[in-house]
This record gives sequence, structure tokens and C-alpha cells, in this order.
Amino acid sequence: MTAGSKKQEKPKVAFFDFASCEGCQLTVVDSLQTHLDLLDAVEIVNFREAATLNGWDFDIAFVEGSITRPHDEERLRRIREQAKVLVALGACADTGCVNALKNLLPPEEVRRYVYGEHADWYETYGARPLSAVVKVDAVIPGCPIDREEFVEVVKALLVGKRPPIPDYPVCVECKLKGNVCIFHVGGICMGPVARAGCGAICPTYGDGCEGCRGIIPHPNENAMKEVLDEAGLSVDDMMHYFRMFNAYREVGVGQWE
Amino acid sequence: MADSIYVPRLARLADIRPMTELEKLFVVEFPDGSSLGHQPGQFVMLSIPGVGEAPISISSSPSRSNGQFELCIRRMGDVTGVLHRMRPGDVVGIRGPFGHGFPIEQMRGKDVLFAPGGLGLAPLRSLINQVLDERGSFGRVIILYGAKRPAELLFRDELEAWAARDDVEFHVTVDRGDETWTGNIGVITTLFPKITVDPLNTVAVTCGPPIMYRFVLMEMLSKGIPETQIYLSLERRMKCGVGKCGHCQINHLYCCREGPVFTYAQIKNVPEAL
Amino acid sequence: MRLWVLPKEQVVDMVCRLMADYRVWGPQAKGPQFAFEPLPDPTAIRLDYNISILSPKVALQPPQERIAVFHLDGGFTVEPVIDAEPTVIFGIHTCDLHALALLDKAFSADFPDAHYLERRQQTLLVSLECLQPCDEHSFCKSMGTWTADSGYDLHLMDLGDAYGVSVGTAAGEALLTQYAQARPATDTEAQQLHEARDAKRLRFPNRLNFDAAELPSLLATAYDHPIWAELGDRCLSCGACTNVCPTCYCFNVIDSPELSLKEAVRWRRWDSCQLDEFARVASGENFREARAARQRHRMFRKGKWLYERFGELGCVGCGRCIRACLTHINIVDTFNAIHASQHRR
Repeated sequence: MTAGSKKQEKPKVAFFDFASCEGCQLTVVDSLQTHLDLLDAVEIVNFREAATLNGWDFDIAFVEGSITRPHDEERLRRIREQAKVLVALGACADTGCVNALKNLLPPEEVRRYVYGEHADWYETYGARPLSAVVKVDAVIPGCPIDREEFVEVVKALLVGKRPPIPDYPVCVECKLKGNVCIFHVGGICMGPVARAGCGAICPTYGDGCEGCRGIIPHPNENAMKEVLDEAGLSVDDMMHYFRMFNAYREVGVGQWE
Repeated sequence: MADSIYVPRLARLADIRPMTELEKLFVVEFPDGSSLGHQPGQFVMLSIPGVGEAPISISSSPSRSNGQFELCIRRMGDVTGVLHRMRPGDVVGIRGPFGHGFPIEQMRGKDVLFAPGGLGLAPLRSLINQVLDERGSFGRVIILYGAKRPAELLFRDELEAWAARDDVEFHVTVDRGDETWTGNIGVITTLFPKITVDPLNTVAVTCGPPIMYRFVLMEMLSKGIPETQIYLSLERRMKCGVGKCGHCQINHLYCCREGPVFTYAQIKNVPEAL
Repeated sequence: MRLWVLPKEQVVDMVCRLMADYRVWGPQAKGPQFAFEPLPDPTAIRLDYNISILSPKVALQPPQERIAVFHLDGGFTVEPVIDAEPTVIFGIHTCDLHALALLDKAFSADFPDAHYLERRQQTLLVSLECLQPCDEHSFCKSMGTWTADSGYDLHLMDLGDAYGVSVGTAAGEALLTQYAQARPATDTEAQQLHEARDAKRLRFPNRLNFDAAELPSLLATAYDHPIWAELGDRCLSCGACTNVCPTCYCFNVIDSPELSLKEAVRWRRWDSCQLDEFARVASGENFREARAARQRHRMFRKGKWLYERFGELGCVGCGRCIRACLTHINIVDTFNAIHASQHRR
């Protein structure tokens, strides 16, 4: 703990996943190689992707993935009951990410397209973030998560403070890096309304931000739409930019139940 | 190597006293026994290394320092959350004292009216106890205290002691009572009709949430107390405490330097202040 | 004041020698724009730059710096991190030079800030006179920063094949004699230099429609002006305007423990009054919640409040905030609009 307090036992940590590419857990595995101290700081008891551990005695649950089937809810609730702290790991868990794109479309059409004539055999519903089902204590945004931010969140949990997830936009980090503004070289960027924390990695390498970390709490959407309009985007294109990673924010589960 | 104004001194939590569900009183001392050397109304920057730093008003009176000072702290953010889980003997970092406190010299010989609301008693207690310790140098002492619920009243022992003194006019109220509460019910402004003041000879002091002090100031003004004799302690976000970081700026004023104690005359025309 | 002449082809040579003893910051190409950064090699310097994305304040107040390290062992010990080394900032335009003078005051006032001041003390400033306005957004002429008579150690002025060099300090003169093959200017060259400066005056437009000295009194009557609401509607609250500003110096302080919890680092990082959380206290109260109030705060700081505190206007007319704003919030237009409406009445 912090100065003065008593040595504590290492928190027991578990990783779980729902609908996702598991890339965020892969980033966690990566971070274990660059931050060897992580394994001294916590005890991993369940991590299907990285180890043959399946313990259910854990303090902190990192949960990747969106909830896309009714019966996912039960498993998530069991994790919630066990965890002292539940962390949504990555955009699928935090915002619904690209999984929620299906929420924009009519359910029947999507079911037929994906599962063909046997669509009825498969249980699926509107994709949603974990917070639509259970209380989430902390989030690590991003598609995928930022490795350093994952480590910062672990540190914050170790000392008992709220994880330092920025609620300001990507522009802040982009300016601090002294980058050329993507709009000044003819690009499109969601930086003014997208949540920072990634170190403005895409603009730093010359690509516009697509908002994978979600939208900041109080975006000036009208002003942003004017910026995009001036950059030559049609209304349809603007919608794509706002929806690609943030469809759940825009439409919830849409026409799905 | 040059000294940094941002480096805290190590201090020890000598004692921690639970006060309410959300507040505890932390008794703090420096290992070398030196005193903080503060004025009532000043604040310190309290650090928990690795967690952060927060501005905290000083609750104890310099007249009772005894090599220690007291901070009445609500569990609210990161620093205060971790602090509330600490134990006596644990250490914290302290910078300060900072800011302008209450000008006690200008209050001597006058009647003093205190009207703290809720946690606003924390900084005012420092001045109240100093005034009571030098009771002979002041005229009447009137204390009007308001809290949301009986369970949220701070420093209950001292409230009782103040109520018992015949040289203190003490009135307390709660917004909502409970089964144990037999006293006044209503917001703090309902206490003002209970008192009369000699306005030109009265200094008035308040601190509390904005919604509370806006109305209290109106009561004080309507009693005829001059604007230059009404003191208010303000709360702002602070990251440095020394007039650099910009967070506490109230128009042209820095709350950490020109404040946190202001006269009403100083800030009545500063639109962001009140 | 002595004048020297430094042939242009010797600038790279001078920078090269300086780099042996100093960290040298200078303007470099960054895509189609320019950035002030430590020079990786002497030939990277681009004294023909128009304006840098961030001002050279990055060399003195870095966007992010460690200010203290705590060693935790039941109690703690703490060391300040004062990260200063001999530095030359080469090629500072005069707008930015004036801005550094303001930062010097801000960090020296009341409680001197050793992190900035130690760095500043070990830093030599080589400024560069612009002979053309950098683009349509700069308004240095209006703010009186289009040239400089002091504040530098050395000051360069383009004379065609060479730079005329004015010496501002003894340390500057030592730089010139030890690291450059400059020669004293002839009377003709000195004359040439004065003429060039006189001639430039006409090329720089006044974009402000009134004397900048009137700004503090003008703003004193403009607190409730309808223009703030208009700016608030447009503002993205992205903080670009303050982050590119050469005179903004507000910061946040953030702690980060090591995973071992045996050490913790206290960081400071640029912060912006335009961001939602800037004036929010722990209890949740936000003392400057409206975007309009935040833009007003920025412009009052530039045009009034810093002047009242330090005797210098907080705006040097570099135009960076105008270029950076995606919704075209323009400080010159704003000041002009206020002036126009106050004078219509």
C-alpha cells in the first residue's frame, strides 16, 4: 500500500471474456512481458487465454467483451458477485464497440445473414456493454486497450484510488505531443470528441482518430458535426464516424430486444 | 539542489477520530515536533504519495497547537478515500500552511457572528476556538450552525460545550430531523431571526456549500453588517496552493493566494466567486 | 550594444559546436509544419520556419515532467526532480520571446518555482527577427511583440547572406565568440540592420482595430457580452487553444506509484481551463461549467488578468490559438467585436 500502511496480501486477479476478439487480453499478456513487476504485484487465478488456471476465488475481475446473448448475463452476474472490483477490459466491454454495429440493423436481417436458414437455433440479442447488465467499477477503454494504461489501472487499484481514465478528448494528448493536426493535412479525426488515454497514437502516426475509446462525457456534438461538414463529410459519413465504435451510445440495442 | 515548493514534509497521523459517517478528524504532527504555524482560515496541501494531493482547511486553533494540528476531512475523492482507510502512526505529506486566513486582529473588540454550514464548520472551528481561548478580547460570540441531518453534525462534544457556555450564544439547526432530534428544524437562515446584532460592531464569518452561503450572506447583509466585516471562506480545486497551477482562479483572484478567506466587499462584484 | 555579423553558411557550424556543450532546441520541419524540438543534428534546424506548432516554452515547461520522487518504506523520503541542463533555444521568434518573459515572471512570483527557474537559468535564448508576418493569423504588430530589444542573449536578423547579430547579454556574447565565427558589423551593416527593421514595420499589419493597451479596460466592460455565449456554442472544449499558447502555464499534478509500491512519482502536466474538469472540486461542484464561461476566462486571462498581475498582456499575438481552433474561435475577431460593440453605444 501507500506510505505507512501495512503490507497487504497480493490481490487475486481473474480474466474473463464475452463477445470479443480477445485482443485486449492479448495486450495484457504483452504487458506481463514488458512489466514483469505485474506478476509480483498481483496473483492471477483465472486467465483462460494465457494459463491453465480457472480459480473462482478472486478480488479483481477484468472482463473483456460485450454481452450478446441472454445467457451471457448469468455468467457475468456470477463474476460480479464474486468480484470486489469489476473492470471492463477494452471497448467491447466498456462501450459495446463494433459488436454493437449490428444494433443498427433489423434483427431478422442480421440473423439470416450470419446464421443462414438455421438462424432460429442461435440465441443472440442486441450487443451491449457490461454496464448494461451489472455494475462496473472501472473501465479500461480502447480497441485494443493501451498497455501502459492497463498497468496504470492496476497501480491505481493497488493503492485504492480511482483508475485515472481521462475524460478529456484525444486533442489534448495530440497537442501535448506537438503533432500536426490531422485536419490541417486534409484528414478526418474524431480527436475533439473522443476519449483520450491512448497518447493520441493514431494521429501521432498520421491517421485520424476513430473514437475507439468512446466519446467524452460532454462532447459538443453540434460543433463537431460542423467541423466534419467543413472537412467535406456527408451526413451519412458523419454518422459512420460517430457510430463505428460507438453505435451502442447512439442507438442502444436499436430494434433488438 | 534547489528546493522545490512542491515537495511536502513528512507528517504523522497522531490520532484519527471518527466523527460522522463521512467525516473523520485527523490529528497530525511533524516528527520533529515543530508547529505548523498557521492562522485560522489557512489550508494545507495534504499528500498521500502515489495517490495524490488535495487542499484541506485546518480545523484546529493555533492557540491549541501543542505541536499538532487537526484536519476534519470528508471521504470524497482519491486522497481522502485512501486517507480514511489509514491508521494512527501512518504518514502523509504536508505542504503549507497557505493562503490568507481570517484577520483576527481586526476582529478584536468586536462581536463575532459565526454561521457555518455542514463541513463549513471545519475551517471556522479554528477561528471559533481561538476566539474562545482569548474570550476577553472579543465582544459577544454568536454561533449559528446548520447541518442537513443530526447525524451530520460535526464536533458534537464541542457543540455541547459551546451551548453550555453562558458567554456564547449558540443555535443549531438541521434541515431534516430524526427520532432523537428535539432541536430546531430548518435551514440555517431560520436561525437568524433568533438573534439581534449591533451591526457596525459585528464581524460575521461563514463557510459552507454555495447554496447555503448565498442565503447566509443575504441574512448578514440584511442585519446591516458592513460588507467589509463579512468574511467568507471559499472552496476551489487546487493543484499547487501557491498561485501557479491556475485551477483555483476566480476571475482575477487566486483562491489559494488572495483567499481562501475573502470579505464580501472583495468578492461581491466578482461574478464567479459566489 | 555591439552588433556582429554571422554568415548564414556558418549557422549549422555554430549549432554543431553548441551541441557539444548544450542541448540545442530549434525549429525543425514536422510534416508540412514546424516543431520546436531538441535538434537531432545541426542540419535539421530550419530558421526559415514560419511558426512552430507548440511554442519554445516546451523547452522550459515540458508538457509533462516529473517533479518529485517518493521512496516509500513505511514512511517516505522525497526528492524533488529538478531536471535542468545547459540549453540553448535557437531561433525563437520575438512573439515567443515576449511570452517567455511572462512565464519568467509567473514562475518567479511569490513562491519561485525551481523546476522552471533552474531550467531557465541554464538556458540561453537566441532569438530571430521575422521579416514577414508568418501568416494571416499572426497579430504580433498589434501586441507589440513583432520585434524585441531585450529578453534575448543573442538576436539574429536576416541580412541576406548573413545574420546581423545583436548581443543582449554577456553570456550571449560569449556564445558568439566561443561557438561562432562571427565578426563585428561594419557601420554600413549596422545601418543595413536598422533599415531592415524599419522597412519591416510596414509589412506587418495591425489586426487589432484598437491599441492593445486598451484591452484591460475594454474587457472590464465586457464580462456579460453576448459574444461569450456565441463562442461557447462553437467551442469543442478540446484545449487546443491553451495547449498551443506560448503564455499558458496552468498545470495538473498526478501521482503514479511503481507497481512494487516502493516508489511513487509525482508528475505535472499541462492542463487547460477549457476542459470540463478544470474547476471541479471533489464534492462535484464545477465552478466554471459553461463552455462560454471557460472561453471568457481564457480571453480575460490573456487580455486583462495576467496584465493586472504581472504588468504584461497574456497574449503575444502569435495566432497559434486561431490556427489550432477547428471551429474558428478567433481571439482577434473577438476583441475587435467587443471593441466595435462598445463603441457603437
